Amino acid sequence: MYELNICHLYPDLLNLYGDRGNIISITKRCQWRDIEVNLTSISIGDTFRYEDHDIIFMGGGQDYEQAILQDDLMNDKRQGIIEAIESGKVFLAICGGYQLLGKYYRTNTGKEIECIGALNLWTHAGETRLIGNLVFQTDFLKTQNHNGYIVGFENHAGKTYLGEGVKPLGRVIRGFGNNGEDGFEGAVYKNTFCTYSHGSLLPKNPTFADHLIMLALLNKYPDFQGLAPLDDELENLARNSLIKRFTE
Amino acid sequence: MKKFFIKLRICVSIIVTKFMVYLLRLMGRGGTSLPGKIALKICPELFTVLSDRFRIIMITGTNGKTTTSRIVAGMLDKAGIKYVSNKSGANLSSGIATTIVSALSLFGKPLVRTALLETDEAAFRTVAPMLKPELVIVTNFFRDQLDRYGELYTTLNNVREGINGSPDTKLILNADDSLCASLGIGVPNQVIYFGLGDNVYPEEFIKANTDAAFCINCKSRYNYLSSSFGHLGHFQCPSCGYERPEAQIECTQILEYDNISSTIEIKTPSGKITVKLALPGLYNIYNALAGAVIGHVLELDENDLAHVLEGFECGFGRMESLDAEGRNLRLILVKNPTGFNQVLRYLLTQNDDCLMAFIINDKLADGTDISWLWDVDFEILSFMMNKVRKFFVSGIRAEDMAVRLKYAGIPTDRIFIEHDGEKLINKMIESSNEKEALYVLPTYTAMLDIRETLKERFNLREFWE
Ligand SMILES: [Zn+2]
Repeated sequence: MYELNICHLYPDLLNLYGDRGNIISITKRCQWRDIEVNLTSISIGDTFRYEDHDIIFMGGGQDYEQAILQDDLMNDKRQGIIEAIESGKVFLAICGGYQLLGKYYRTNTGKEIECIGALNLWTHAGETRLIGNLVFQTDFLKTQNHNGYIVGFENHAGKTYLGEGVKPLGRVIRGFGNNGEDGFEGAVYKNTFCTYSHGSLLPKNPTFADHLIMLALLNKYPDFQGLAPLDDELENLARNSLIKRFTE
Repeated sequence: MKKFFIKLRICVSIIVTKFMVYLLRLMGRGGTSLPGKIALKICPELFTVLSDRFRIIMITGTNGKTTTSRIVAGMLDKAGIKYVSNKSGANLSSGIATTIVSALSLFGKPLVRTALLETDEAAFRTVAPMLKPELVIVTNFFRDQLDRYGELYTTLNNVREGINGSPDTKLILNADDSLCASLGIGVPNQVIYFGLGDNVYPEEFIKANTDAAFCINCKSRYNYLSSSFGHLGHFQCPSCGYERPEAQIECTQILEYDNISSTIEIKTPSGKITVKLALPGLYNIYNALAGAVIGHVLELDENDLAHVLEGFECGFGRMESLDAEGRNLRLILVKNPTGFNQVLRYLLTQNDDCLMAFIINDKLADGTDISWLWDVDFEILSFMMNKVRKFFVSGIRAEDMAVRLKYAGIPTDRIFIEHDGEKLINKMIESSNEKEALYVLPTYTAMLDIRETLKERFNLREFWE
């Protein structure tokens, strides 16, 4: 029987906008296929050993809460997170978590807050918040039966820019995406996926959830053959109704 | 000359507003915000100019504004004070303007002297300093509609700014909410705190998903001596010493607590009273306490205070009950995770078999981002699967809600999508028997829609009456 260890980083601080939905989605979709899931919460003061985890998840928080974890993240967790990403662990970072993986965050007053620096990207505070429904198209999910669209909701003040070596997750069809300027959304590096699409991202985009599960199983079980399909009728109804509403 | 023009504009805005309210009611509409919006366009100084003509009580905070406001209304009635209030939850500046203008004669003379105003937190920032309220109740702060306000701390700061502009206002604050209680620290205002006494409702403090686990001053993790729900409780910061302030009005005992009511003991500066609240849920105890503070400020005696609290019934949509072809249909507004969790917890205490419907919209007044549904513990519905045969989902985001239920462990063959409100009610009645209760849980705009449907079929009263 297959088994996956999922790590939720700072669940008590980075838990805005229903981020928990992503964990619920991965967990349920594993359990429905008889893949055992062990969920670990790692927060301030806890030791983070990247070898222990197969999928690592980091959500978004409010400025106030992100300030609380700054020291712990930069002093205790930083190296482990960099190694996790470099070693090809499956990593999903959303909104604030996305920004924290980059090199720095420049505030409105021009102050640069150093971030983990695991990925070659950076964020500048914008004048207004970029808020609304978000639809973007990815290449890696595109198949004959799937247009590669992901639908979600974004709410961020920061504008993120990608440097060399990091690819965008997709092209914006509707919404702002990384910065509202270049038409790209999110970032991919090895098995690390970043996006501004928060909350119920994975429940409504089950192929993306399955993609992450599959990568994690391939990492751990080289002979892994592929995921059994599930009945995604409700998920697809939700996803398609929103894509239709926001793109037509 | 300038003064003359302001006077003229006020007159014009009063006449226009009154005429529009009249016209809208004639057409069978509520007419709660549009007239005020136009009044403020004509006369932006409206609030400042009218502030000294009224004694103003404002109620703001995330949850419980409407219920608290209705309890306060009961206190005013008891004290024989005539007032106007924005009953229907039109709590932005436009709705407030409509309410205030409707309390003026055509010549700008106030017909009543007191205005009871439920006020949106963001609107409070600008409206409070202009209206100079005598009393302000802040109920609590929870995450709510973040897409509209940005962040919880932005919401808190909005209220803080509103208070900073109103130094003469008497503040009535929730002592158990570390965010709310902080509004009373270091301000010149007179402050009265209300709250639950230590260990009155002992519950294990849940670590994850609380809105304010860390000290607002120094960012250390709070210790909790006891906890009621969400982040409410007897908090204490181990580093800077910020702790739950002493409450002047306090619930000192919960004697009985069941699915429809609770009997509690309240300590006031003038003595103790025991009251039976005809309201379910812990959150309503807080609302009652806030209302009791106003009763105390109005110098009502203990008997009167208890009388008002006991006589209070549910307000617009907060929990309405009606007869739908022999079935008991209950309508309960849901708008954010904390409130929703309290409602689900309340449903758990119900003994009757039932059918449930969740109507989720994503219009501006509901919050356009519905990812908060993932912060609601629908997983607890699995404890009542033997009582609930069918789950209906409706509204603009019916499918999202269906997915949420599926991932909460509800079998998909018990989940039914029905977008149309009328058909939804029909299906619920057709597929139930008279012994089963029908629970309908809509978000704000969905509530307005489903009320229209229910109004036509059953005798549901207009909410602005
Ligand atoms: Zn402190």
